[in-house]
Amino acid sequence: MSEEKFPINIWINEDRYAKLSKAGLGDLCEEMLAGLKVLRVYADAAQRDKILKLFPTAKFDSATTKSIELLPKDVKDKIFDTIVEKESVDIMAAFLAKF
Amino acid sequence: MELGHGRKPIVERIMEPAEAKEKIKNLVQIPIRSQIANEVIGISYGFFSPLQGFMGKADVDSVCKKMRLADGTVWSIPILFDLTAEEIAKLGLKPGMSVLLTFNGNPMAIMEISEIFDYDKKEMCKAVYGTDEAKHPGCARTYAYADKFLAGNITLVNRPKINAPYDPYFIPPLEMRKRFAERGWKRVVAHQTRNVPHTGHEWLMKGAWFQTYAELPIDKPYVGVLVNAIIGAKRKGDYIDEAIILTQDELRKSGYFGDHNHLTSLTFWDMRYAGPREAVFHAALRTNLGLTHHMYGRDHAGVGTYYGAYDAHNLLATVKDELDIVPVYSMNWLFCPHCGEITSEGLCNHKSEWQKFSGTVVRSIVVDGVKPPRLIYRPEVFDVMMECGEKYGFGSPFVTDDYLEKRIPVFEIPPMK
Repeated sequence: MSEEKFPINIWINEDRYAKLSKAGLGDLCEEMLAGLKVLRVYADAAQRDKILKLFPTAKFDSATTKSIELLPKDVKDKIFDTIVEKESVDIMAAFLAKF
Repeated sequence: MELGHGRKPIVERIMEPAEAKEKIKNLVQIPIRSQIANEVIGISYGFFSPLQGFMGKADVDSVCKKMRLADGTVWSIPILFDLTAEEIAKLGLKPGMSVLLTFNGNPMAIMEISEIFDYDKKEMCKAVYGTDEAKHPGCARTYAYADKFLAGNITLVNRPKINAPYDPYFIPPLEMRKRFAERGWKRVVAHQTRNVPHTGHEWLMKGAWFQTYAELPIDKPYVGVLVNAIIGAKRKGDYIDEAIILTQDELRKSGYFGDHNHLTSLTFWDMRYAGPREAVFHAALRTNLGLTHHMYGRDHAGVGTYYGAYDAHNLLATVKDELDIVPVYSMNWLFCPHCGEITSEGLCNHKSEWQKFSGTVVRSIVVDGVKPPRLIYRPEVFDVMMECGEKYGFGSPFVTDDYLEKRIPVFEIPPMK
């Protein structure tokens, strides 16, 4: 059985979409809410717990979407920038290693 | 005579200024904090009818053990006035005394002390919250109480000045009932909220409006939705109060509802997150406001994983014959791309295509600085929310340290003239 993964939803506006497209990652966006684009970065259970501990405003939406929400904007921006820089969404371990 | 919860008359316990000025002379003064001031307003205007004051031990014990006042009226949450033994000794307080409660240095209410008692806080937590864990916010509030409790009737001697932008939304029970009558509403359904509304919330209200309308004739608008926002203690990350109240009203102003079926109001109350017991408290509160129906969704007034999704519904069912308000149970609303609309999980069968969204997810979109689509968030609501962030929230529609420290008080107690 594969390990359960928990998404962090990076919501994509036009500016973010342009940067993703330039990095060749535009196709990774999904339409999640009435056409709103989202890029999902996944954390495993241990990473999820570390994120919730590191950023107390963050919340695990256990009831509806099983996603990690309400990370501070600057943290989301850093995650997004790391994705663009590494041209990959598999960045969570590297991102958390900085903390 | 207007009857409220428990079929008891709603009485405003408010003294006129000329009489009050004489009565408060030479009374021992007790400064109170915002929670107690909120509850003084709740008692004196009849929001908490049939309570006439802070509870005595017999009521507290009965509320904890039987979810009833000592006289048998259904009541779910203790309403307590706490002081330390040292304060009581220093002020020489004893049963039979009248004291003056002051808020921010100004006279607010007279309390006729009838009893001074103590109560096992752990037992209270278990009974009310179903847990004694200190991390439950209701338990944390209980453990933070001082060790002694004072019981006694309350009479307001100085009306609160409700500050802008909240002032039009403070509508006490007797006035609220007049407003309903003026609109010709035969039934009114309560929407309990602490949120800026996304379309899921909007459709909760619309769905409840349909459910409440039922067999009534349709020649005139006979049913209204009352948004009753709970305004009280805030936590970082919550929506700021100004954004909550003004965006809820924006749904009416922008035509998603209208004057004929929608009214926004507020109640001062520090949420206890008591889940099922808070649901019963809300039923009493909204009965007093003149509502006939009350909307309850999943995990009403819950927190974390303390309560099951439908625990509140089950508890309400145990006292339904004693409540004068009909619970309206709401299923979740979601976006279905196949239907191209917001729909109910009880209606739509494109289950594999459903796009569910929660308040948390929508907040996360806003935090990211992204404007959600209009089918998820009405653009007028979004704009008002962001304006509130600029005007009242020190740049954010969410509660920050700055907001907690420097926000505009919702109400003040003015000096007595």
